[in-house]
Amino acid sequence: MTRIRGWLANPWGRPRFLVLITWGYIAWSIVPVLIAIQFAFNSSRSRTIWSGFSMRWFTWDPSDSVKNDPDLRHALGQSFKLAGADVLIAVPIGVLLALGLARWRGRGAGTSNFIMLFPLVTPEIVMGVSLLLVFTHIFTFIHTGTFAQVLGHITFSISYVVVIVRGRLFSIGRQYEEAAADLGASPAVALYRVLLPLLTPAIVAGAAITFAISIDDFVISQWLSSGGGTVTVPMLIYDATRAAPLPSINAIATIMVLVTLLTVLVGFLAYRYFTRGERAAGGGMVGDMAAFDI
Amino acid sequence: MAGEVTLVDLVKTFGDVTAVDGINLEMPSGEFFSMLGPSGCGKTTTLRMIAGFEQPTDGRILLDGNDMAYTPPHKRNVNTVFQSYALFPHLNVTDNVAFGLRRQKVGKHEIRERVAETLELVQLTGFEKRKPAQMSGGQQQRVALARALVLKPAVLLLDEPLGALDAKLRKALQLELKALQQQVGITFIYVTHDQEEALTMSDRIAVMADGRVEQVAPPQEVYEEPSTVFVADFLGVSNLMDAEAVGGANICRLQVGDFELDATRGKTDARGSVRVTIRPERVHLEPQESTGQNRIPGMVERLVYLGNSVQVIVHLAVGATIQALVQNVGTEIPWKQGTAVQAHLPPDALRVLEDTGAALAPLDEGAVPA
Ligand SMILES: Nc1ncnc2c1ncn2[C@@H]1O[C@H](COP(=O)(O)OP(=O)(O)OP(=O)(O)O)[C@@H](O)[C@H]1O
Ligand SMILES: [Mg+2]
Repeated sequence: MTRIRGWLANPWGRPRFLVLITWGYIAWSIVPVLIAIQFAFNSSRSRTIWSGFSMRWFTWDPSDSVKNDPDLRHALGQSFKLAGADVLIAVPIGVLLALGLARWRGRGAGTSNFIMLFPLVTPEIVMGVSLLLVFTHIFTFIHTGTFAQVLGHITFSISYVVVIVRGRLFSIGRQYEEAAADLGASPAVALYRVLLPLLTPAIVAGAAITFAISIDDFVISQWLSSGGGTVTVPMLIYDATRAAPLPSINAIATIMVLVTLLTVLVGFLAYRYFTRGERAAGGGMVGDMAAFDI
Repeated sequence: MAGEVTLVDLVKTFGDVTAVDGINLEMPSGEFFSMLGPSGCGKTTTLRMIAGFEQPTDGRILLDGNDMAYTPPHKRNVNTVFQSYALFPHLNVTDNVAFGLRRQKVGKHEIRERVAETLELVQLTGFEKRKPAQMSGGQQQRVALARALVLKPAVLLLDEPLGALDAKLRKALQLELKALQQQVGITFIYVTHDQEEALTMSDRIAVMADGRVEQVAPPQEVYEEPSTVFVADFLGVSNLMDAEAVGGANICRLQVGDFELDATRGKTDARGSVRVTIRPERVHLEPQESTGQNRIPGMVERLVYLGNSVQVIVHLAVGATIQALVQNVGTEIPWKQGTAVQAHLPPDALRVLEDTGAALAPLDEGAVPA
């Protein structure tokens, strides 16, 4: 009672109410995930009734565990294959594009900087359909399947890499390149010796985000798949949930959650590691991303 | 010895902004040359053109007689100490200083020697393994200096290198920098907007305004004998009066309001509307009754005690306000606020100035004259 009165008297005191809402939201969003994860370790076939802890659905069930069900195993492989290829291709291209866009002065620079944001705001479903149309009508030599899926993932993850790297480029400015040139470094050497090391945190962050996005992606993978061997984990989970799901689906989902969390964590730690010592000067990762202008 | 820089009709425009508007300068080898001017007058732009970061719109930049206006920065025998230092944050002190030597493919052994030597020169021995972020502003400044000096450039460009430091450290580093320049003997081109800094350190100073050079001369000459209104004003001499030059050649006859003055300094052959200046310490205040040439009556407006002298602000009958500096010799000075006085302005202290039309800095009321 006194609390409420205190709050009414001074609503700008400690924002208890906000804290409550925040924790409420966190519980709301995380509890379902935790429950799903819990049933990945269920020892019976039920996904609703808990009957004890076991690793059955991960490893030892002879036909239905992630380890022994070929469909699950294959989907996991496909997801990692796509995410890996996406990182390996989208990150270098994104870095080069960011360098070009950030250092390109003059006509057209503003426009192309803006257009670069399109894939970020285009609904994925639109992107997926468009790509499918392109592959089936214009570039008909590209058939749906792994290759098309990789292309799709690259297409929309490049933008994330560009935005992150370009933000970092803007926040570090031109001074280091100029200093390198002043000390006798050719543009190529300045890029390799100075710019790339300074961009490392952004590149690592870009790679982590690309990987996380790709591994989570459902819409584009679905549109560009050719069934069978090109089913990814999210696609598999979607299909299985509509049929008769087993806890092995929870198990594979658990693996995905862990992998995503781990990637983001590694990206974040790497970012902090590479920017140690310069944190006082810059605004951190978020600051870097917010630093780009159009 | 190499290191002679010549700027010929140098022009730089950014869109419709003219940052540098036809500069001609000669900086002989081994000179400590300063470019002094208010914010936005084109100092940095000029320096960046010499370094190669900007291409001149027009004109030439000669280094030891060779035109290098279109040589890329990494091929110029010129190094820069940046205002922000621009030390590579991912490299420690040694690697920062060795960066340029490595680009020149100098041998490992020699690199180690020269880096150690240069760090000793700038008194940073013992800091080899530190990252820039782990050092104070003054230490970073020395690393920036060492990084450029280690390459033994013909010319060192310094863009307000002490701008980010506190006043005390700045004073100390000014002296160090000057000593260092004499020791290594290379040409320093030093940009600053701090007149005192330029006066203390330089062999010669170019005072700049609006992308142009107003006067180039040794410090004492710039200070004692400013040739333009702008220079006089920028160097803290605010005793400016409007006058009408009516005759004479060696002695300029000036009409100031109802009074006639003679002036023997500056542009004495000028005619028509001019400005004259006089150093505060040359203004003699005399009792109201005194008479004679070059005297204008006035009224003491304000006294400012400065310790070893007293600044007396006098409002003249002709409308202008001038400052007089009276030495504090221990006796009480006879002027008080409201006292009527005669201001004696000796002809050999009055200087006729050329007005180039450069915009003057806003008047700093009650500022202590330098
Ligand atoms: N890249 C640029 N684009 C457009 N205008 C510029 C650019 N660089 C400088 N200018 C303009 O040119 C003029 C001279 O700038 P400059 O940086 O040379 O001044 P400065 O004398 O170094 O001043 P400060 O003492 O403030 O550093 C200014 O009016 C500035 O706005
Ligand atoms: Mg400047």
